[in-house]
Amino acid sequence: MKFVDEFRDAELGRVLAGKILATVEPGRHYKVMEVCGGHTHSIYKYGIDDLLPENVELVHGPGCPVCVIPMGRVDDGIAIAHQDGVIFTCFGDMMRVPGSNGTLLEAKAAGADVRMVYSPLDALRIARENPDRQVVFFAIGFETTAPSTALTLKRAKAEGITNFSCVCNHVTIVPPLRALLESPDLRLDGFIGPGHVCTVVGARPLAFIPADYHRPVVISGFEPLDILQSIEMILRQLAEGRCEVENQYKRVVPAEGNLKALEVMAEVFELRPHFEWRGLGFISQSALRLSNAYAGFDAEQRFAVPGVRVADPKACQCGEVLKGVIKPWECKVFGTACTPEHAIGTCMVSPEGACAAYYNYGRFARERVVS
Amino acid sequence: MSDCDHDGCITCGDVAIEMTVVRLDGDLAVCEAADGDVRTVEVGLLDGVDEGDRVLVHADVALVRQ
Repeated sequence: MKFVDEFRDAELGRVLAGKILATVEPGRHYKVMEVCGGHTHSIYKYGIDDLLPENVELVHGPGCPVCVIPMGRVDDGIAIAHQDGVIFTCFGDMMRVPGSNGTLLEAKAAGADVRMVYSPLDALRIARENPDRQVVFFAIGFETTAPSTALTLKRAKAEGITNFSCVCNHVTIVPPLRALLESPDLRLDGFIGPGHVCTVVGARPLAFIPADYHRPVVISGFEPLDILQSIEMILRQLAEGRCEVENQYKRVVPAEGNLKALEVMAEVFELRPHFEWRGLGFISQSALRLSNAYAGFDAEQRFAVPGVRVADPKACQCGEVLKGVIKPWECKVFGTACTPEHAIGTCMVSPEGACAAYYNYGRFARERVVS
Repeated sequence: MSDCDHDGCITCGDVAIEMTVVRLDGDLAVCEAADGDVRTVEVGLLDGVDEGDRVLVHADVALVRQ
């Protein structure tokens, strides 16, 4: 397949691994954060960390939107789902994210009409087909997904559909990165930038990382050779004393992003003053809500929701995992009380979550034997 | 299509799927992925999309022409 097979070539992978080994400075420890959950998934699926020198450590970032959704927002969604006449729609892995009193899947089992959709457009189609029901879409995702919600709401408005609304949980990538860079817990040497977020926002929003924090960023694709090459580019910047935003994923990511997507997002959304991130706490202007022009589609205004902040379970250490402070297998409940089948924490729910990636590809077994 | 039958989670994360435009209908297009999956996709964010174009699709929206 074009753009896939040629980026999974084992021999080229070994060449890149050799270049990485030749680039690192012996005795220096490098911590590189992959921002995006898609990268985390690829790293453990393809065993990329096994190809790296021992002094190059990959740290998993907060770029899985399911993993960063706080329990209180899940509770809000479940409260809406249980209201009379509501068809509640969401992406598949969102259905298994635990709130303080169960998941959307359990709400469905208890009688709520909860349906998995592939896109907001699917949810709008359900609204057209069920004019006597209220159809609610639980919107989640970074800037990659937000245009889809925005276009759907524009379409709903243009068609005069009144039985459709949205719980907006869209988040933006820059504020949590800034929060991580400000965190005293973590010393990072560079970032593997989120490729598909940058198809929308472009490269410019990441420029603050080298400008303000003097760390290199390489926007990366998601195939194994993409990630290996991006790591090599980051290490080369460090070796040469440079720090800038480079684009490894030029075959997909235009430097300026998608201006039409940004325009439609600006029309439909506005920044929330603050939003809670699981593990990171409240971060200013880090999420989107519907603008005044689209307030009629805001499910949080249409329905009564608890809107209560809920503390994470004490046993769960997703927060430390999301900040890269601990590795998934270092969590007390990893692989025992918390598994993909019975997840306590969000990082174990989504396939892009660091814990699920470790668990699904068996990485934890090796680490446990070693420890 | 379920949410997680591809290499990664395509529903909420940042994995996008390469698709070929089969038929245009205004800002919507019927697109086909390499695995044969067919979806109706918003293409209004891209200029001058034509049948046969390859586009990168996330959550039923074409974000980039390839």
